[in-house]
Amino acid sequence: MKDDRQWPMAAKNYANTRYSSLDQINAGNVGQLKLAWSFSVGPARGQEAAPLAVNGTVFVVAPYDGPNPNQVFALDAVTGDLKWSYAPKPNIAAKGVACCDVVNRGLAYDNGKIFLNTLDDYSVAIDANTGKELWHTKLGDINQGETVTMAPIVVKGKVLVGNSGGEMGVRGWLTAVDETSGKIAWRAYSTGPDSEVLIGDDFNPHYGWLKGKDLGVKSWPPDKWQIGGAGVWGWISYDPDLNLIYYGTANPGAWNHEARPGDNLWSSSLFARDPDTGMAKWAYAVGPHDLWDYDEINENILLDLPINNQTRKVLVHPGRNGFMYVIDRATGEVLSADPFDTVNTIKSIDLKTGRPVLNDELTPKLGKTVKDVCPASPGAKDWQPAAWSPRTKLLYVPHQHICMNFQTSEVGYIAGTPYVGATVDMFAGPGGHRGEFMAWDPVARKKVWSITENFPVWTGALVTAGDLAFYGTMDRWFKAVDAKTGQVLWQFRAPSGFVGQPTTFIGNDGVQYVAMMSGVGGWPGVVANAEIDPRVRNGALGFTGAMQDLPAQTVGGNSLLVFALPKTQGAATQPNQTNPGASNQGNAPTGQSNHAQ
Amino acid sequence: MRNTETAVSLCVQPIIAKRVLAALSAVLTLAMAMLPSQAQQSAPAATSDSSAGLHGKLLQVPVTTLAPGGTNPRPTIKTPPLDDPAAAQRGMQAFNALNCVGCHMANGGGGMGPALSNNFFIYGGEPENIYLSIAQGRPNGMPVWGSMLPDPVIWDLVAYITSISKAPTPQWGTTVSASSPQIQQVPAEDQQTASPWDNTESFTKGQKPD
Ligand code: HEC
Repeated sequence: MKDDRQWPMAAKNYANTRYSSLDQINAGNVGQLKLAWSFSVGPARGQEAAPLAVNGTVFVVAPYDGPNPNQVFALDAVTGDLKWSYAPKPNIAAKGVACCDVVNRGLAYDNGKIFLNTLDDYSVAIDANTGKELWHTKLGDINQGETVTMAPIVVKGKVLVGNSGGEMGVRGWLTAVDETSGKIAWRAYSTGPDSEVLIGDDFNPHYGWLKGKDLGVKSWPPDKWQIGGAGVWGWISYDPDLNLIYYGTANPGAWNHEARPGDNLWSSSLFARDPDTGMAKWAYAVGPHDLWDYDEINENILLDLPINNQTRKVLVHPGRNGFMYVIDRATGEVLSADPFDTVNTIKSIDLKTGRPVLNDELTPKLGKTVKDVCPASPGAKDWQPAAWSPRTKLLYVPHQHICMNFQTSEVGYIAGTPYVGATVDMFAGPGGHRGEFMAWDPVARKKVWSITENFPVWTGALVTAGDLAFYGTMDRWFKAVDAKTGQVLWQFRAPSGFVGQPTTFIGNDGVQYVAMMSGVGGWPGVVANAEIDPRVRNGALGFTGAMQDLPAQTVGGNSLLVFALPKTQGAATQPNQTNPGASNQGNAPTGQSNHAQ
Repeated sequence: MRNTETAVSLCVQPIIAKRVLAALSAVLTLAMAMLPSQAQQSAPAATSDSSAGLHGKLLQVPVTTLAPGGTNPRPTIKTPPLDDPAAAQRGMQAFNALNCVGCHMANGGGGMGPALSNNFFIYGGEPENIYLSIAQGRPNGMPVWGSMLPDPVIWDLVAYITSISKAPTPQWGTTVSASSPQIQQVPAEDQQTASPWDNTESFTKGQKPD
């Protein structure tokens, strides 16, 4: 759908660029951007969802808590009027098996329908006009530790949904559900025999070590692939010309790597699959035998880039392991992989074999604490998706800057309970800051500018033809920056910290709006929105250590914020008096803009 | 152990069930083997009491402090001794082996489940309340353990949770500011203890402790 009045899926488009050609709001006038309306979605837990907009209606989903977990709301984009809401039948026990806050990353729209994934493993189709339920299909089982937190995406009439639960010993899968009938069309497991991973004769990975029969069984100790994690909870992109979908799989379970000698395929891997059949075309193991919980579920942004004087069809994958991968999306060949943050776990990526060259000194040994591991388990960048501007040819990457101490321990599998075996203690990386918003040039393979932030930048990015990049901070600032220079042009102080995904669209009044959920949470934010003790560093799988001062800045929230320029521009108000973020008015931007030399 | 088998085979894929059982019974055998003679005396006392006496009384334990008509329905419960450091130590082993630690985190700091490191309990902090939370499970995601664990193991867990929840309380309420809290626990990778609040250090605000 190449119609930039709409924002029909969390990542905006199949290429996952999160770029909008709208430019009513631009570098010249963004200083006047105002809150047009706001709406409370209820539960004050991590608001990671992307607000969608289709034909002047905004669709948003709440986290899984309160009286109506995962409630969906349809609102008029101009007035904020509530048109309908839909609440799935809850099973609140699901909250206990969600590793990292009870988040939902958003809905998908296709063909007059809104598609919802619930934390307790249902996929639901809702009539976008009326809010009536069309079908609901159970896809997983919370008693196996399975939950669903990802935003679905619809490709050729199939709703694509994957499971979460890499900390619970699940067996990861991606499932295609028919958008009309709600029937399961295919399911591709991430581990196990080729017949269930949907690997057939057509499978042609670029690297030799990834070829062979049933590697999803043989690269594990006997049976361990059945509880090996490798969920699918991130982003899916789609190339209609190659007819391939792309996505990454999560970490292997347990975190204690000594429980699972072998390459542990296909955990922490990328897959290219035929959306009609689910059959794999190629795969690439980004982190064979992962040591640190480096999921590789991060987005794969599909771009055509000039590389060595040739236009190459690539995917750009900002790795959780701290390397920025540029990969040929037809073949799975890694063209380049460069570190974008402090990394001491991996020395480099061997482009001949595609394997990471590990820093063996850090390899965890049972019961021994490994100190100063960078990046920490959430990686140098987690799920929070980057954006690409075809105008500036830069990638806008929100990410964190955290290291950790890490100690493995013995762990036994009990279905429905965590299967981790690690004690983790995270803290700010070198320099003392914990996050960064950076512009990266994937052709020159270098950082162009960056803004350091006190806390991890846990929101997605948005970039527009107004040459503005948007992101939010966990200490409650929503920012618009000059996409070329990184200069902060506008910022808004919100009710709660940000962990969501900014989007932009046109209302039925022809006006451009920018929308963003405010409500701190997610893995780094639970210390501020749930009963977690900031004085015990190992809480929240170790993220408490790095976030223990967050509750002094914010608590949980639940607001959808929708911004627009004033109707009669500049008439009633003077820009500089009404700019809440102007740096000379006491609300100084907290981020420092650094230009890389 | 019969109970254990039923509970487990109900909730795991058959192929893995066998290995899970092995892991679990190892845990339980370990837990039972670790019972020193004194605890063995008191625990069976509680257990034999349990079917009729203690368990019957536990049924009367309220999970709220609201009592209509000014009644005081809280029964007097005689629990196994909980201030015994050996019981807390065994409870810590069980807490780790049963994956409680995966949801409540090391030293009970909180994660998928709420913090157990402070003296606030949603469902009551008396030993019998904690016992019931473990045995019955709780609606917002706490699994039920009563059919899987023998009573003495649950009471050891209660002893451990009672021990780790002894956070210092400088005041009645909690102030959070740029200068509060002032302390944090020495993290679990640096101390393995059933009384982690005995060793604290300055609050480091997300920075690396020295
Ligand atoms: C799958 C995650 C999970 C596991 C495993 C788990 N818990 Fe819980 N636990 C929870 C959640 C979530 C709650 C809060 C439930 C609620 O509010 O209804 C909870 C609540 C509790 C409570 C009550 C806390 C209060 O504030 O009243 C206790 C005590 C407790 N758990 C102890 C344990 C012990 C001991 C174990 C291991 C035998 C264990 N838990 C295993 C998730 C878990």
